[in-house]
Amino acid sequence: MSAHKNRKKEYFDGERAALPVILGFVPVGIAYAVMAHDAGFSALETVLMSLLVFAGASQMMAVGMYAQGAGLVAMITAAFIINLRHVIMSTCVFNRMGSTPLALRIISSAGVTDETFAIFTTSDEKRCTPAFFLGLVSVAYLSWAMGSLIGALASEALPALVSASLGIAMYAMFIGLLVPSLRGNGRLALLVVITACVNTALSQVMTSSWALIVSTLVCAFAGVFFVDLGEDAA
Amino acid sequence: MRSEILVLIIGMGLVTFIPRLLPSLFIEKMRFPARFEKFLRLIPYTAMAALVFPSVFAVDSANIWIGIAGGAAAALLAWLRLPVMVSVIAAIAVDMLIYIL
Repeated sequence: MSAHKNRKKEYFDGERAALPVILGFVPVGIAYAVMAHDAGFSALETVLMSLLVFAGASQMMAVGMYAQGAGLVAMITAAFIINLRHVIMSTCVFNRMGSTPLALRIISSAGVTDETFAIFTTSDEKRCTPAFFLGLVSVAYLSWAMGSLIGALASEALPALVSASLGIAMYAMFIGLLVPSLRGNGRLALLVVITACVNTALSQVMTSSWALIVSTLVCAFAGVFFVDLGEDAA
Repeated sequence: MRSEILVLIIGMGLVTFIPRLLPSLFIEKMRFPARFEKFLRLIPYTAMAALVFPSVFAVDSANIWIGIAGGAAAALLAWLRLPVMVSVIAAIAVDMLIYIL
């Protein structure tokens, strides 16, 4: 098979792996757009923010702050702090992707989200090519843009029952990615339980975005000393 | 399009892009020691644990069982090694059932 055909296959493989993200991003995109509408954003402003920012938690925070009369500097600073976690996630993604031309890495980096990171870093390492990642990102990006567009044009697009039930989707995806690797690795499962407890405790004493960064790093560091990941026994 | 909002969007676009971009510029040049590689490989697990807990309990701020039941359904099916999409759909179905009943 030619390299071109391979890349196409990897890209579609990435798109397929990202299908659960649609169920998470479209309803959250709609919820964000409804919040933006209530805060006085036009449909164009709402969708443009999704296209250029592509960060759900930051966007919801920003339109919420705007509604309360916050200043530009405060909203941009909040977005920066919320998205600092992506330094960690992007590091893992590009460490796993291996040798990739710089221009392609830069383009791909814009697509690092909690969800694309989670799918990519739990996929079989052989699948972790740039084309696979771009396939993931294109489905995630389109879902986010479409959700925002639907919400901006028809703020009551989803019946309340459906949108409430879809709230679990992103969590179910993280759980679905996480749990299979814990089967047969009790120490890794222990690390996950410890991290859940640490993050829950830290969330009481600092903002959730800082708690997430601290507990992710501290617990992964602790895990180096007692978790065995198998092949890298070195 | 109000100019204030345009500035907000561009500003947010920059500050959310920079954390994603920086590692992509440097990471390939680095050769990490084995211990640090292991640290990086553990991060997906700790990050996902922290993304789920405690916020899954607040999926519906009025009913903690929405998060628990949906999450447990997803965990059970994932334990049986079913595809991620199956976990997601089952969790949604369980929560929808709770809302209907």
